[in-house]
Amino acid sequence: MWLPVMGLIIGIILGLLTEIRIPEEYSNYLSIAVLAALDTLFGGIRAYLQNIYDEKVFVSGFFFNIILAASLAFLGVHLGVDLYLAAVFAFGVRLFQNIAVIRRILLTKWSTKKEKLEKS
Amino acid sequence: MDKRKMKINFTLIAAIIGFMIAVQFQTVKKPEDRDTRDIWQLREALLKEKELQSNLLNEIRSNEEKLSAYKSKREQSKEKALRDTLNELKTDAGLTEVTGPGITLMIEPVMENIQLGETTKNVVSPELLKRLLNELNMYEAKYVSIDGQRVINTTVIRDINTETKIDGHTVKELPLEVKVVVNDLSTAEKLYNRMKVSKARDEFFTENLRLDVNAPNPEITVPANQNPIRIRYMEPVKEGSGS
Repeated sequence: MWLPVMGLIIGIILGLLTEIRIPEEYSNYLSIAVLAALDTLFGGIRAYLQNIYDEKVFVSGFFFNIILAASLAFLGVHLGVDLYLAAVFAFGVRLFQNIAVIRRILLTKWSTKKEKLEKS
Repeated sequence: MDKRKMKINFTLIAAIIGFMIAVQFQTVKKPEDRDTRDIWQLREALLKEKELQSNLLNEIRSNEEKLSAYKSKREQSKEKALRDTLNELKTDAGLTEVTGPGITLMIEPVMENIQLGETTKNVVSPELLKRLLNELNMYEAKYVSIDGQRVINTTVIRDINTETKIDGHTVKELPLEVKVVVNDLSTAEKLYNRMKVSKARDEFFTENLRLDVNAPNPEITVPANQNPIRIRYMEPVKEGSGS
């Protein structure tokens, strides 16, 4: 369980150490890509906890969501409509839902464990 | 096995997300440059800037003084006087365009007098033009141009191969415009009245030409002479050799 967190930390450290900077006007795309990636990550965790995890869905969803979000933002910039807000909204809502589901699952697991302990 | 693979997947994707977040963070983060000076430091800085400003103002003032000194020096210099003289001489010699009060004369063929089958003569003879010029000069004409060609002291009007030429410029087309500029408007008025009753009109008429005199105009422009003035028999007087 701690391996993904380690991966996250390693990634952050790597990013900070390489000192890569993207042009200011592309930071919009990157932020939306980050959001999409986070959404996929939490979706994966939820699926794992619900035992419906599929590796192909997870990996393809990760890249596909990022690309879709970035292209939506790109289209929005060229149409003059803030389309990336749609992506932000969708991913945001899903992020909250996923986290809520994860929280509930963890809570039920925790409580059943406690009950078992009390029984024994 | 499957669980291990899943963990690797999660780890990899978490690492990618971390990397992306770090890059985004670095892009958005701007070096903060906060002004932490207190009021006395600010005052000192202000004082410094003010000093700089006053120094600059002093410099500007001294430069302007210098400029005006140079200007007044130039005004009083010999060069200025020479330049003025040169300009005056140029105006007198006809090398500059002149605008002033004056009259215009039109020379045109008398159409109603032409008989059927008669060949029209479209040339003004040089003698006629010379007489006209003499008359104009008699009545205080100052600057004259014929057909856009300035007439000056050295201008020659002559017949070359049955073409009337003014300083090499061929007078071909009728009607012909003669512009005369005089000193002031009253002189122009006088000139106008005299030309209306002058003999020149009769002389032109005998050659089937009509001389129309237009009313005085306060703004008449006579072009400059374009041909170089060649001076052949002239040399400066040597000082002391006096004759």
